[in-house]
Amino acid sequence: MNPLSSADTTDETAEAPADEAVETVEVDERRQAVVDQFTELLGDAVVQSHIRPGDDVWIRVTRDAWATTADVARNRLGFTFFDFLSAMDWLPSPFGRDMDAQEDTSGAVAVDDADASPGEADADAGPVALETGYAGGDTRFQLLARVYDVRNHIGVTFRADLPDDDLAAPTWSTTYLGADWHEREVREMFGINFIGHPHMVNLYLPGEFEGYPLRKDFPLLARRVKPWPGIVDVEQMPTDGDEDAGDLRCRRRCRRQ
Amino acid sequence: MAKLDGEQVVRCEPIPGYMHRGYEKLCEVRTYPQVTTLVNRIDWLGSFANEVPFILAAEKLMDVEAPPRAQVIRTILFELSRLGNISLFLGDLGIQLGGLTIGFYAFRDREFVLNQIESATGGRFHPNFDRIGGIKDDLPKGWIAETKRAMDRIRRLCDEFEELVLGNEIFAARTRGVGVIPSDVALSYGMSGANLRATGVDWDLRRDACPPGLSYDLADWKVWTHPDGDSYARTWVRLQEVRESTHIVDQLLDSIPSGPIMAKVPRIIKVPAGEAYVATENPLGEMGYYVVSKGDLVPFRVKIRSASFNNISVVPWVSRGVIIPDLITIMASLYFILGDIDR
Amino acid sequence: MGLVESGKMPKPLTTLLSLSRKYSLWVYQWGLACCAIEMGSAFASPRYDVMRLGVIPFPASPRQADLVVISGTVTDKMAPAVKRLYDQMPDPKYVISMGSCANCGGPYWDSYSVTKGVDQIIPVDVYVPGCPPRPEALLEGIILLQERIGTEDMSKRWRGEPIVVS
Ligand code: SF4
Repeated sequence: MNPLSSADTTDETAEAPADEAVETVEVDERRQAVVDQFTELLGDAVVQSHIRPGDDVWIRVTRDAWATTADVARNRLGFTFFDFLSAMDWLPSPFGRDMDAQEDTSGAVAVDDADASPGEADADAGPVALETGYAGGDTRFQLLARVYDVRNHIGVTFRADLPDDDLAAPTWSTTYLGADWHEREVREMFGINFIGHPHMVNLYLPGEFEGYPLRKDFPLLARRVKPWPGIVDVEQMPTDGDEDAGDLRCRRRCRRQ
Repeated sequence: MAKLDGEQVVRCEPIPGYMHRGYEKLCEVRTYPQVTTLVNRIDWLGSFANEVPFILAAEKLMDVEAPPRAQVIRTILFELSRLGNISLFLGDLGIQLGGLTIGFYAFRDREFVLNQIESATGGRFHPNFDRIGGIKDDLPKGWIAETKRAMDRIRRLCDEFEELVLGNEIFAARTRGVGVIPSDVALSYGMSGANLRATGVDWDLRRDACPPGLSYDLADWKVWTHPDGDSYARTWVRLQEVRESTHIVDQLLDSIPSGPIMAKVPRIIKVPAGEAYVATENPLGEMGYYVVSKGDLVPFRVKIRSASFNNISVVPWVSRGVIIPDLITIMASLYFILGDIDR
Repeated sequence: MGLVESGKMPKPLTTLLSLSRKYSLWVYQWGLACCAIEMGSAFASPRYDVMRLGVIPFPASPRQADLVVISGTVTDKMAPAVKRLYDQMPDPKYVISMGSCANCGGPYWDSYSVTKGVDQIIPVDVYVPGCPPRPEALLEGIILLQERIGTEDMSKRWRGEPIVVS
């Protein structure tokens, strides 16, 4: 299990992107050029970036520059195709493993602690270290958006941190018209407000719905009431290696327990 | 919901959400193999095509690649689901415009494609056949010849459609110049697939950004575009796509390599930590999965970028000032699937 | 019709009535999700041809329908509409729930926005299992329903006695 390139690194900024490039040696010039262009045009607003060579590029900007980023991307750099806009909640699930995989109802948590990723195991032991993805992040909520350049066939994923006490961001819907619905969806699912959005009403859920379903602390009630009814065929193997011999036996053992 | 002024639409705002099933949340509580069962049902007409980008994203994170035979079979099934999907579009368009005949034709010929999908995968609709690192089973005996015959049927359906609908004066009068979407608006709304190509943007993910795991480069085919951006153009592009797709299938059927159909993957699939976005050109347009993994059995977050959601968000823009009958052709030609909008 | 009002009906009349009701089911298609397409194949495609069973799938509104096929996922947002549809139908009315979703929530059993079974909102006569059920399965469901209609004592129904499923 290789750790996330920039896991809980909040203060080191420059290292993270280099990280993977060193490993694979190959340097993606096209994508590096994209990052350079954005850094040039946005200045300090670019907090961090990450490139996976030959594949994708992530750029983290500050929240204040969120709208400017869209403007620069679409009108200056030719990223005219709007892909999607969404958000991330990096809080590890407070329900322990029973929300994550149905084979572990709360009692079995201890078994799994060993190989559950750090920060997830002791979810309810006070404030946990958030583990964020590529291009880092310091806050629980992050915006996530992707735009594409259809002429040069290159896409960029943007993210921006949102402080917990003020979940709001400037709207993109004036730049990318399609962001309209996506922002309504994010508002509904995460409770993140978009300033300047023309028509902020619920898109999906009936009006009386309470809570923000995609937040990690939103419980799926059906799952709380009743564990997965099907037969458990995804249990953990103690050994990773020889499959055939150990497999069946361990399966039986697990079921007997 | 539409605000009208006489017969003119002042503002029309679709109200989605009647089919919202909370996919993104449900994906967070299912293991990777279980997610494919679920995502089948997003765009229910082209089910197999929904599994593929998710599987490819997981493969990318795990750094495995399906063996060539599996890749080709995967591509064939991908195209078959496109045929099953768009041939119903052709019929549906006829029904919306009052010509029931073509609807029956489409349902009839679509069965041949579904039969092929069923005999290969076991499911008419929701095959759940794609696996991380390959596909579940090999093709049955005699399948290749049968499929070729089915492709002939579909090509004949296309000819019939061309004569019955596209060549029809009424159809042309009702669709030409109706619901014109310029390319910059289409891009800014994130429209994709045939809707985008009908505005003159020459962009097809199968050709331009084909993710590893699909083998479109083995076939010789063409991306069709149309400069007009109106309802007629959208229909026309889709029709050509169906034709092109049958040719892709025909060529790939001749070039299935021999070999295994599964790469070596562990029994218990744990995907290493990381993030990946993989999009493919689905029947409705670009469908992508943004998968965030924390090295667990289940994805940490899956953002589903479905095509219809973006395609339909253009409706308030395009429907200003049109008259009600035109709205019907616009909606029909934009072609959406409820589940794909709401997820 | 005086006999009917007093709640009694001669046997031959009942049989005749049932027979005619059985083979002229006007069915309203309430297609919601993937299953709707299979219902479409069953009702509209020449291969499965539902009309040979005496089922007429083209009523203009639920007010003219005897039978409604709820096929697909019923979400909480959609539920009031389903209820309203059912209330609009004239008695006697029958409901077929098609697909796992309409039966019990199906693959979305743990979702926050899906109604776990349409029978929480309206009474269901026949459940057709499957995800999606094949068109043949739906036809079988219709035949089951017809059998039931055939043996049903109409006068009981008019008197408002509960219907016992045998
Ligand atoms: S039962 Fe299956 S096929 Fe039918 S609507 Fe539900 S998910 Fe779709």
